[in-house]
Order: sequence, then structure tokens, then C-alpha cells
Amino acid sequence: MSGFRWLGVGAVLAACVGYLIYSAGGAAGNYYVTVAELRAHPPAGEVRVAGVVQDDVVRGEGGLLIHFTTAEGGARLPVVYRGPLPDIFQPGQQVVVEGRLDGDGVFQARSLFAKCPSRFTAAAG
Amino acid sequence: MIPALIGAGALLAALALAGFAALLSFWAGWRQEAVLARAGRRAVYAAAACLLVAAAALEWALLSHDFQVAFVAEHTDLVTPVPLVVAAFYSGQQGSLLYWALILSLLGSASLAAAAALGVRLAAYAAGVLAGVLAFFLVVLVFLASPFDLLAFPPADRLGLNPVLRDRGMLIHPPFVLAGFAAFAIPFSFAVAALLAGRSDSAWMAHTRQLALTAWALQSTGLVLGMWWAYHVLGWGGYWGWDPVENVALLPWLATTAYLHSSQVQERRGRAGTLRAWNFGLVILAFLLVVFGTFIVRSGVVQSVHTFAVSPIGPWFFGLLAFLVVLSGGLLAFRARMLAAQRPLELAANREGAFLLQNLLLVGVAAAVFWGTVLPLVSGLVSGESRVVGAGFYERAAGPLLVVLLALLATGPLLPWRRTHPSWRALAWPAGAGLLALATLVGFGVRDPVPLLVMPLLAAGLATVLFEFGRLLRRPRRLRVLGYRRRHYGAYLAHLGLLLLAAGIAGSHFWQQQRDVVLRPGETANVAGYQLTYQGTLQRDLGDRSELVAVLRLGGETLEPARVQYPSLGGQGLTRVAIRSTPLEDLYVILAGGEGDSASFRILVNPLVTWVWAGGALLVLGVAFGNLGAGRRPSPVAAPVPALVRG
Repeated sequence: MSGFRWLGVGAVLAACVGYLIYSAGGAAGNYYVTVAELRAHPPAGEVRVAGVVQDDVVRGEGGLLIHFTTAEGGARLPVVYRGPLPDIFQPGQQVVVEGRLDGDGVFQARSLFAKCPSRFTAAAG
Repeated sequence: MIPALIGAGALLAALALAGFAALLSFWAGWRQEAVLARAGRRAVYAAAACLLVAAAALEWALLSHDFQVAFVAEHTDLVTPVPLVVAAFYSGQQGSLLYWALILSLLGSASLAAAAALGVRLAAYAAGVLAGVLAFFLVVLVFLASPFDLLAFPPADRLGLNPVLRDRGMLIHPPFVLAGFAAFAIPFSFAVAALLAGRSDSAWMAHTRQLALTAWALQSTGLVLGMWWAYHVLGWGGYWGWDPVENVALLPWLATTAYLHSSQVQERRGRAGTLRAWNFGLVILAFLLVVFGTFIVRSGVVQSVHTFAVSPIGPWFFGLLAFLVVLSGGLLAFRARMLAAQRPLELAANREGAFLLQNLLLVGVAAAVFWGTVLPLVSGLVSGESRVVGAGFYERAAGPLLVVLLALLATGPLLPWRRTHPSWRALAWPAGAGLLALATLVGFGVRDPVPLLVMPLLAAGLATVLFEFGRLLRRPRRLRVLGYRRRHYGAYLAHLGLLLLAAGIAGSHFWQQQRDVVLRPGETANVAGYQLTYQGTLQRDLGDRSELVAVLRLGGETLEPARVQYPSLGGQGLTRVAIRSTPLEDLYVILAGGEGDSASFRILVNPLVTWVWAGGALLVLGVAFGNLGAGRRPSPVAAPVPALVRG
């Protein structure tokens, strides 16, 4: 009998967890797109964009403000990011930026991740 | 060349032995042949010995810079310091799999050596499952990811480890995580063996209790060391990023944490079969999550900031995962009638109830973390558009569950076993401490409801633990009591560590302050009461690297955040943060860059971060104190029943 009561507790809890996951996913989830996909369908809200850093990196404000272009599959996207950069940030590096596209077509990045290498490969040089 | 031949030969021999051990052990278990079962166990020991030889051969190849071996050439160079060369053993894909198999075979042998007392069938099946898992790893090691593959044209020297991995944190973090992963396979093997053998009793659980705790302690250590490394080396001011790689290491930890608590219920009430099926399920789940995590990490199916060499072993681990899910699911269903409890757990405010609720919550947290990890994969398959979630998802989805868990941490240990009507007076201490903390926080001007909920709960949990130690101090012959109830007090010590760790996470999460400043020499920045004066930069040349150091004065102290360049490694840089730790907060300074004579900094004040490390250490110490060498334990009946209920 009480085993069934625990089933009830479990069911209620499972429903709570399901609701939490559902609501959190709606509020905190972003689409993960490539530069080409972003260009094809500019999204309304925040997105994560994966691309490769190009050679036009410009630093301002003592190095805290960075303008660069990220590109992938022939499509290019100018990005502005404010903050310290990951150590491995450099042209040719694959990065993921999170933020939104502003009215001028510039991507305002709130955060920037670089892929952390597990070791050195010859391509790094 | 010679070490590679020896190593490859040893791996092949280990594979043959493990395969033989698996087949022989299953046969011996089926026929209940004690002699054959012993032979099967000995084959596992022999496989472990072969793996030791293979590991020694790989270290030999690494230390002798045998660049003909592809693994050596890809992970070390001539100038790599010796400790890092040694550590390269487990830093690469193939080596880490060898390390994993080695730990599995050694711990497995240790657990099998004493398994004969469990009865022929159970011990033999356990050896069979264990040898089967080991054989899987050896197939991968021999045919797909051999650390002993040779290069046709060996280079004279090679690129070494990435600078961010050249750190002592990286020397010790991976072996703990990997050993924890490997150790989970052993309770799993015994659980599956018990199901195969149709044994519904708790003997398998008692036998693997120490190893489950060891696995848990190794995982805890690995997780905290990983956080410590990220905080000190990666230089972004945090220590946990909810990255898939971190998540998949957390998942088995959550399942095992649940198991360590629910197994106590079965230990006390095993004869009625209470929670029996649940415990089987949790142990199996923990290992399935380990295999799942390995699949995620090694296959590259989920985007992560960590890049692991994407290799053909991904599908193999997926195959293993699918096989184990079907096998263990089928076994649990097949044995469902046997596992059904004669007396299910009553729904009551007692210790058992608290444990089961805690279990359900932990599984809920694991479900949320799992969902966040696989969402990019699932959404990509379903709609073609990949969705990702960030830290916000995990905070919203798992945060409320963690808050309820904190409340349980404060109340659960005060609830008595078995009784259904506890005296609520016992809760006066945590309630008082919680209210006091609440009043203090409000007095200091905290108005945000989340810290006002979390911090008092932590204070209440602390009061519960201290109350327990206070009761010990009031008892006569307290050292003797501490000795024979060390498992009890070890657990409370671990609780204390977890509370400190949680307080550290909460403090740095709620009250982190951050400012970006650009300073010219002589200028001062004021951040959260810290007066930092920039004095200028200096250049240091240190052989393989050069450092650009910014000198900041803080009162009489000097902080030196730096950027390090490794010209030989494609000019890759490394940020070296300056951290000034006090028990209450860390001042964390990142040198972001410079223009002319001005330099830019990101300055963070991270409250209570030291508590995370101290709490982690205490957590593991508690487990070690409670369980190392504690083979003899008074039976639950003989153990003094907490007198708390009587007030």
C-alpha cells in the first residue's frame, strides 16, 4: 500500500522535474547555428554561433574590446566582444560566440568560447 | 620500438586472458564448478599483470622518447619536463584507455580475491561480467586505439603538451576521474552477477560497499581537482561551466551519491527487501552513465569546449551502452518478481523516507543535467535545428531541486530510523541556526530571495552536523565511540565538507563582483574595497617561454598577473591569473592585454571560493576516515540507537 504512496511521491516529483526542465529550457535555451545558417535565417533572440576567427582581429580599450570576423562555409560575420579572450584565441581558431545580431548586422557577443585542445597537433603552428 | 613490441604483446595477452576468463567464469557459474571459477578469477589476475606490463612499457617508451611510437610522438617532446612525460600516459586517448583498463583490472582483481565467500555462482558470474567489460576495453585498445602503434618515419622531436595542460592540476585531475570511472564497473559487475545468479540478498552490496565508496571518493576528488584547475589555469574567473564534459563526469557521481544513501536502507531492512530493486537500478545506472559519458566525450557528437580526438571508438562505446542497457533492463524485468519487496517502504518522516526522497531528488537533478547535455543532439535529430542550453538552464532546472536537497541535508540526519512519528523538537537546532543566519543576512542588507533561502539552509545543515559532534563530545569514552562508530562520524564529516563546498559555490555564485579596467602606470583602480595600483609591466625570458608581467600593488603586497608566450608552440599564449586568497574571498586579476603603456585588466572578487577546495578535501577525508580499514562494524542491532528522539 505504502509502496504505491511512494509511487505517488515519485510521480509528483517527476512531474516537477519535467516542468522545471521544460520551463528552464524555454527560458535559457538558444539555437546553435553556424555562420551560414545565421546569415540564411537571422534569428530574433540570442544564439550561439560557431565559426573560425579570421585575420582581421582589432583590439581596442587596452585589449578588452575585440572586433573580429568569424566565418564558416563562405559566410562571414563581424563580431564585437568585450572581455578577456581565451588563451588559444587566434586567427584560424574555431570559436563559439553567444549573443545577438544588432541592427547593423554586427554580432554583439556576450560570451566567447574557444575549443580547448587536448594536445598540440601540427596544424596549430 | 622494443617497449612498443612488449606493450602490444602484453595487451594481446591480456585480451586473450580476459576473454578466456569471461567465458570460463560464466561456464563455471552455470555449472557451479568451484575449481573452474577459481581458474577464471586467476585469469583475471593474469590479465591485470599483463596490463601492468603494458603500462610499464608505455611509460618506458615515453621516458626514453621513443618517437617511433605514434603515441609518444604525439604527446611529448624532448623538452617536456619529466613529470609531464610521465603524465602523458593518461593524457592522450589511447593511454587514458589503457590507464582505465589497468585500474579496472587491479580493483577488479582485489574485489574478486575476496569474492569466493559469496558463493560459487555469484563470484563466478561477477568475474565473468568484470572480465567481459575488461575484454571490451582490450578489444578497443588492441584493434582501434592502440597506444603502441608505430610510425613509419619517426620524427626527431615533436610538439609537446599544450601550455594550459602544463600544470600540476592536470597531472592529478585526469587519473582521479578516470579511476573513479573505472571503479564504478565493479559494483556494477557484482550487481549484474547477483541478478544473473538470482540472488536477491544484499551480499553483493556488502561486498562492494568499500569499492563503491572508493569510486565515489575518487570521482569527488577528480571533480574538485578539475574545478581547481579550471579556476587557477583557464583564467575566466569561474570553475564550473556546465560543459558536456563536466556534466558527464557529474552524472555518475549523482547516481552513486544516491546509492550510498539508499543502500543503507537495504542494509538495515534487507530482509524485507526494502529498496532492493532500487539499489540494483542505481548501481547499474551509475555505470551506464559512465559508459554514456565516455561515448559523449570520445565521439564528438555533442559540441563541447573540450576537444577530444574524435575517433572511431565512439560507435563502439555506443554499442556497449546499447548492449548494457538492454542486458540490465532485461535482467531487472526478468527478476522483477524476485526483487519485489515483501514490505515496501512506508511513506513517513523517518530516516528511510528522507533517504528515498533524497534519492528521487538526486535522480531528478541527474535527469535535468542529462537532458541539458543531450538536448543539442536530440533537438538536432528531431527538428534539424540544434538547441543548446547554458548555465541558466541548469540553474533553473536543477537549482530548486538542490535547494530541497539542502533542506534534507539539514533535517534528514536528525530523523530517526524506522519510527513514523519523530519528535520535531530535534529540529530546533537547525531551525534556530537557519533563522539566525537569515536575520544576519537581512541585517547585512541582503534582499535577494535566493541567497536568503540557500544560506540559512546551509547554516541549518551545519548546525545539524555540529549538533551530532556535540553529542559525541558529551558522551563518556568519546574517542572509543568515535572509533567504533567511525563510519557514522565519517559520514558526518563528509556532510560537513559538502556543506562547506556548497557554501563556497553559493557564495561565489551569488556575490561575485567583476570590473574591467584600463590603467596607465601609477593609476589606481578601486574594486570592492581593494585599491590596486598599476606600476607597469616587465618582460621575463624563461627559456621555452617569455612572460609579460603586469605589476599591481595592493597595500604592501604585489600581484603579478601575466601573459605567457610559447614561441616554439606557434606563439600560443597562456594567461596567468593572480589570485590573492583569504578565507572569505579571492581577489582574482586577469591581465587582458595592453596598448602602449596602458594595460587592461578584468578584476573579480570571488567570495568563499576557498571553501570549495576546503570542503572538497573534507568530503574525501570524511569518506576515508569512515571507511579505510573499517572492516568490522557492529551489527545495526548492537549499534547504539541515537537517543535523539527522546530529546
